[in-house]
Amino acid sequence: MNNPVKLTANAISMQAITKTYKMGDVEVNALRGVSFDIAHGEYVAIMGPSGSGKSTLMNVIGCLDRPSSGSYFLDDTDVSKLDDAKLAHIRLTKLGFVFQGFNLLARTDAIKNVSLPLFYAGVPAKERRARALEVLKTVGLSERANHKPNELSGGQQQRVAIARALINNPTVILADEPTGNLDSATSDDVLALFANLHAGGRTIIIVTHDEEVADRASRVIRLRDGLIVSDTNKM
Amino acid sequence: MFSYIVEAWAVLMANRTRTILTLIGLVVGVAAIIAVQISASAMSGAVTGAFKGLNTSMFFTFPKSSGGDLEKAALHLSDIALIESIPGVRTAIPYQQQRTVIRVGHNAVRLKFGGESDQRFSTAPLAQGRVISLDDVTSAASVCVISSKAFERLFPNGGDVVGQSVLVGDRRYVIIGVLGKTTIDTASLGLDIAADVTIPYTTYYNNYQRGQTLFGLEVLPNPGISPTSLEPAVKQALSTSHSGAQYQTFDFGMFFRTISGFFGVIGIVVGAVGGIALLVAGIGIMNIMLVSVMERTREIGVRKAIGAKGGQVLLQFFIEALLLSSIGSGIGLALGVLLGWGASALFISKISGVTAPIPWLSITSLTMIFATVVTIVFGTYPAFRASRLDPIEALRYE
Ligand SMILES: Nc1ncnc2c1ncn2[C@@H]1O[C@H](COP(=O)(O)OP(=O)(O)OP(=O)(O)O)[C@@H](O)[C@H]1O
Ligand SMILES: [Mg+2]
Repeated sequence: MNNPVKLTANAISMQAITKTYKMGDVEVNALRGVSFDIAHGEYVAIMGPSGSGKSTLMNVIGCLDRPSSGSYFLDDTDVSKLDDAKLAHIRLTKLGFVFQGFNLLARTDAIKNVSLPLFYAGVPAKERRARALEVLKTVGLSERANHKPNELSGGQQQRVAIARALINNPTVILADEPTGNLDSATSDDVLALFANLHAGGRTIIIVTHDEEVADRASRVIRLRDGLIVSDTNKM
Repeated sequence: MFSYIVEAWAVLMANRTRTILTLIGLVVGVAAIIAVQISASAMSGAVTGAFKGLNTSMFFTFPKSSGGDLEKAALHLSDIALIESIPGVRTAIPYQQQRTVIRVGHNAVRLKFGGESDQRFSTAPLAQGRVISLDDVTSAASVCVISSKAFERLFPNGGDVVGQSVLVGDRRYVIIGVLGKTTIDTASLGLDIAADVTIPYTTYYNNYQRGQTLFGLEVLPNPGISPTSLEPAVKQALSTSHSGAQYQTFDFGMFFRTISGFFGVIGIVVGAVGGIALLVAGIGIMNIMLVSVMERTREIGVRKAIGAKGGQVLLQFFIEALLLSSIGSGIGLALGVLLGWGASALFISKISGVTAPIPWLSITSLTMIFATVVTIVFGTYPAFRASRLDPIEALRYE
C-alpha cells in the first residue's frame, strides 16, 4: 500500500483500489482497498463468495468501470486517470474480455460477432473476415462461422465470445466465470483453450466458483467483502 | 465512412421488422404531407386561376332594395353624367340585359342579349373578328359580338360568320366578332354575367331603354384607380341627388377576394393538418427509434465493452437514421407526388378547368428536409444518450 511507484514490467498493478456504489442513501462498498500485481504471462484465478466483489474487480481490470479511489497501472500506464475514449482504445487494443453472459450480438452471425472489434479498430472488411475465420479455427468453430448465436450451443457461444476476445491479439485476457453455464465436458474444452493461450504467453485472469477450474491457474486470489483474504502462488 | 454505411445496412437488414416498421411510419408521413400540400396548392391555384377569367376592375351600383322609396331611388340616364363627373370615374354605363329570341335565318334561340362598353366584362378570348370599339359606342353602331355559346347555337355549321347578322325582333345587328371559350365555365360557378349577344350600350339604350328607369349602373374607374375606393363617393353622389335614397354596390374584385380568402383559409387549415400528420409521423419515428435504442442498449453496451468509442457508436446510429430517412422519405416522396398529382389531375383541374402550377420543388424539398431532420433528431438523440452510458450500465440494462 505504501509502495513507491515501481518500475517492474508488471502487466497489472492495483494499488488500494476501492469501489463504492451509491444507491440513494445507501452506499455499497464493493471493493475496500485491493492491491496486487500481476506479471506478464501469469494465469490467475479470482475466487470468493457471491457478492464479494469479483465482478466489480474484473470490470475495473477490464477498464469497463473506474475505481472510486486508488490507482491502476496497466503496462505502467495509470488508467484510472484516462478519459472514456482512451479507455475504449485500451479495451480495444490491449484487453480481451469474456463476459459471464457471453454478450454476443443477437441476429448477427459468429464471424461478424468475432470481427466486431476489428471494425472499430478500422480494419478493412476483407481482412476482418480472414482474421475472424482464423480465430474461429483456433477455437474449433470454423464450421459454425455463419451461425447466429441462437443457432449455437452454450459452449459454442462461449467459444465465439472467446474468439472475439482474442481477435485483437490482446496481451491480457479476462474471463468472468467462463465455465459457469457449461457442462463439465464443454468446460474442459474451454479450459484447454485458456491453457493453450497461457502457454502462448498471454496473461489470463478468470473468475470462478469452481476449485477445479482454479486448480489450473498458477495463482489464486480470494476475495471476501471487497478485500483480499488470500493470494497464493502455486509456482 | 463507407464501412459504417455497410455496417449500418447490415444492422438494418438484420433487424428487418424494426426497419420496416420505421419505414412505414416515414413513408406514410412524408407521402401524406406531400399529397396534402400538392392538392392544397392545386386547389387554391385553381380558384385564383378561375377568377382571373373575369374583369374585376369595375363595380355595379343600384338602389338598395330594402331602402324605402324605390320610385325616388330610380336611376336615369342623367345619373350617368353625375357619376362621370366624380374624379377617378372613367365612364358609367347602364346595366342592360334581357333574355330574348335571337334569329339567324331559320334558327331562333333564346339568349342573353345586352349592352356593353368597349371595356369588356368577360375575358373570353376572341375567336373571330374584333370586339366593340369606342367608335361603335359613340356612334351607337348596330353591331354585335356573340359568345361561343351563341355561335354554337346560331351557327351549327360553324364557319366564318363575321359580316353576317343576327335579328333581334326586327332589328338587325352585324356580327363583328365571335368570342371563344373561357378557361372556366363561369355558369357552373353561378358567375355567368356576360351576355351572349352584346351590342354597344349606347345602341341598346337607344333601341330599348329610352325613357325608362335603369336597373343599375356599371362604373368603370380610370386606369390605376381601384373600384373599392370610388364606391363611397358614387353612393354618396347618387344619394344626394336622389334626396337621400340609399344605394348599394357590388364589386367583383371584392367578391373574388372574399372567395380567395376563403380558399386561403382552407389552404392554411389543410397545411396545418399536413403539418400535424408529419408531426405524428415524426413522433412515430421517434417512438420506434426510442424503442429500438432501449432494445439495443445491451448491444450498445457490448459494442462499447469491446472497445467502441461513444462517438463511433453514435456515428453508427446516425448513419442508420440517415439511411432509414432517405429510403423512407424517398418512397414517401414518390408516393406522395403520385397521390397529389393524381388528385389534382383527376379532380381539381377537372372541376375547375384550370391546371394550376404546383410548386413541386418547394413542396418536396421542404418536406424532405423536415422529414430528414425529424428522423435524424429523433433517431440520433436517444442514441446520443445511449452512447454516453457506461458500458457496464448498458450491459446490465434489462
Ligand atoms: N451497479 C451496482 N450498484 C449497486 N451495487 C452493486 C452494483 N454492482 C455490484 N454491486 C454490489 O457490490 C457487491 C459486489 O458485487 P459483485 O458483482 O462484484 O459480486 P461478485 O463477487 O461478482 O458476486 P457473484 O459471485 O454473485 O457474481 C455486491 O454487494 C453487489 O450488490
Ligand atoms: Mg459476479
